[in-house]
Amino acid sequence: MIDPRPGKRMFVVEPATASRLPGDQSQRIDASTVEVDWIGAGRAQVHDEEEPARTVLLGTDRPPRPTTRRTIEVVVDGWRFELEVEDARRADLRKRATRDQESVAGAGGPLEIHAIIPGRVVAVAVAPGDAVAAGQTLLLVEAMKMQNELRAPRDGTVDRVAVGVGETIDLGDLLVVLT
Amino acid sequence: MRSRRSGGTSATASLRKDRGPADDSVSSLATDPSADPPFRRVLVANRGEIAVRIIRACHELGIEAVAVYSDADATAGHVRAADTAVRLGPAPAAESYLRGDLIIDAARSTGAEAIHPGYGFLAERASFARAVEDAGLVFIGPSADSIAAVGDKLAARRLARAAGVPVVPGTVEPAAVERADGVEAILVDADSIGFPLYVKAAAGGGGRGMRRVTTRADLPAALAAGSAEALAAFGDGAVYLEREVRPARHIEVQVLGDAMGTIVAVGERDCSIQRRNQKLVEESPAPGLTAAERREVHALAVQVAQAAELKSAATAEFLLDEDRHFWFLEVNTRLQVEHGVTELTSGIDLVREQLLVAAGRPLSATTIAAAERAATPGRHAIEVRLTAEDPARSFTPVAGRIGRWAMPAGPGIRVDTAIEAGDRIPPDYDSLIAKILVVDADRPAAIRRLARALGEVEVTGVQTSLPFHRFVAGHPGFASGTLSTDWVAAEWDPAMEADRGRALAVASRFAAAVAATAASSVAPTDAAAGRDRPSSGWQRAGRDDDTDRWPER
Repeated sequence: MIDPRPGKRMFVVEPATASRLPGDQSQRIDASTVEVDWIGAGRAQVHDEEEPARTVLLGTDRPPRPTTRRTIEVVVDGWRFELEVEDARRADLRKRATRDQESVAGAGGPLEIHAIIPGRVVAVAVAPGDAVAAGQTLLLVEAMKMQNELRAPRDGTVDRVAVGVGETIDLGDLLVVLT
Repeated sequence: MRSRRSGGTSATASLRKDRGPADDSVSSLATDPSADPPFRRVLVANRGEIAVRIIRACHELGIEAVAVYSDADATAGHVRAADTAVRLGPAPAAESYLRGDLIIDAARSTGAEAIHPGYGFLAERASFARAVEDAGLVFIGPSADSIAAVGDKLAARRLARAAGVPVVPGTVEPAAVERADGVEAILVDADSIGFPLYVKAAAGGGGRGMRRVTTRADLPAALAAGSAEALAAFGDGAVYLEREVRPARHIEVQVLGDAMGTIVAVGERDCSIQRRNQKLVEESPAPGLTAAERREVHALAVQVAQAAELKSAATAEFLLDEDRHFWFLEVNTRLQVEHGVTELTSGIDLVREQLLVAAGRPLSATTIAAAERAATPGRHAIEVRLTAEDPARSFTPVAGRIGRWAMPAGPGIRVDTAIEAGDRIPPDYDSLIAKILVVDADRPAAIRRLARALGEVEVTGVQTSLPFHRFVAGHPGFASGTLSTDWVAAEWDPAMEADRGRALAVASRFAAAVAATAASSVAPTDAAAGRDRPSSGWQRAGRDDDTDRWPER
């Protein structure tokens, strides 16, 4: 899933909830194939091999949230879109982290808990060998000046704690393993 | 001496033939800035583009303009344009722009001698016009009696019929929906009118209280629903039946009258491109009419206006059926949203005329001359209403804050708006944000100019109806003039998705390119890179967020 080729910049782009219609799908776009000529602040021409150049307007460009997705407002031919753009590698990691937690939560085997937001670990509430109940706090992660409690998705025993207090974690990092 | 030929067949039937000294004085007044202003100070009881448009007319006549505003509009365009502004109340129209008592108080406290209601809000409420008159102020519009005479659509139908003007077949008395035997009588009426037909509200406007009925069995329910909706919307549940004329074109005639009883028609407009009875594109003259047909419909409008004794500006609406017959629909006793296309083709300033005739002056020589050539205008104007609406979601209104705001300019372009970059579009009012008008020698040239103008429009921050207007301007069916009120559903709806899809594809590619050029400075691309750096991408992002200028919702 991770694109190994240097120079290729894959992004996953999809309309944010506000501008999504049924039928809209997320697209993987190689940014290195897009030719953009800026013509004044917030206005550019996008070139395409098949079609004539189109003028686009860049509206607000919201900095990434801890999810690493940024929301960019683009207007083309009068159509306004709020587009969520995410580096494809991060998008894949995030999806995998989410999927892992969802799929394994109900199963009996070991459960790897991955970071679904990047941040800094400010507290570790459990140690290997501890029995935990579903919903119990495992870690405190600070992101965007907010403390987020990471809770056990099911009952189990802590097999491993992969991070320590003060450590910076990134999206998809392994945090805790439950058995 | 004012001669008026009643019931004439020519649109200029009521023209004063004696062009005496009075005309010369009007003529000089229209062109001489030192001439006495008709009023010293006028209060504009409206908001948005129409308030700005009226304020401009006031200023050109040397009149001071007083604006009124709600809390949502404290710094809005019409407040910026006026000489003085008075707060009315909170954002909801019922607590601000519909408070006739507060508006009259504001006029008194600021020394305004007259009130211009614009369109919408209180413009066609006879009770407000009467209250203004009773307060010793001038209501800029028809008299309260005239508004009452034609404001009720049923009364207008009776009045037109009595004046010998063909009305759309249907009933002329309120349907007795509440009487047990009433429904039986209505069904008899309905059978003679024929299906499909419309249930319409006597106090109607904007399609409220209106129901299309295709079969006899559906009629009782439609009557009840239409009546209930009309009662809720207008405080009057009276409904009547009207035959559906389809396909039909919607033709409306601009008339102007003065206190001396002169009434002229200065041109017609075609408003056939509608969606849910809301006009989306208007033009003047109506395409495809012969000069004789223009004269005919202008004369019909003058006949109705004479019967209603209209002074000031009013509009008579007609349907044109496939057999080229005109059918009277209703009279609007206000300045219309789309009055600008008539101004561009006729050369008249309708608001200036309203102000002059309200002060008791006769119609200007410019107007009289324009009425004489109204059937052969020699120019073509088109208006589109740019709204804060999402054409992909059935034109649902959207609120928000305007980011970039660039309107077209250059030869033959007029933009009526109260918006500037950074303005908030409040959710409390009409979604109209700008009227874009073009004028050129003929219709094909005007359409090319419209397409050029729409290409210059740049709006971010809120979705607008621009994609729809671009589609219309580029559509061969629009260019060939084959218009009907069904046009939008037939042509736009199927094309919309593909049009948006093409734009989305380009927008997505652009967004990826923007993210790629900015990515290195806001987020580490290598998942490991952020690990040990003292300042990782998300921390910077967090700081950036403090200065985030994302618009308020």
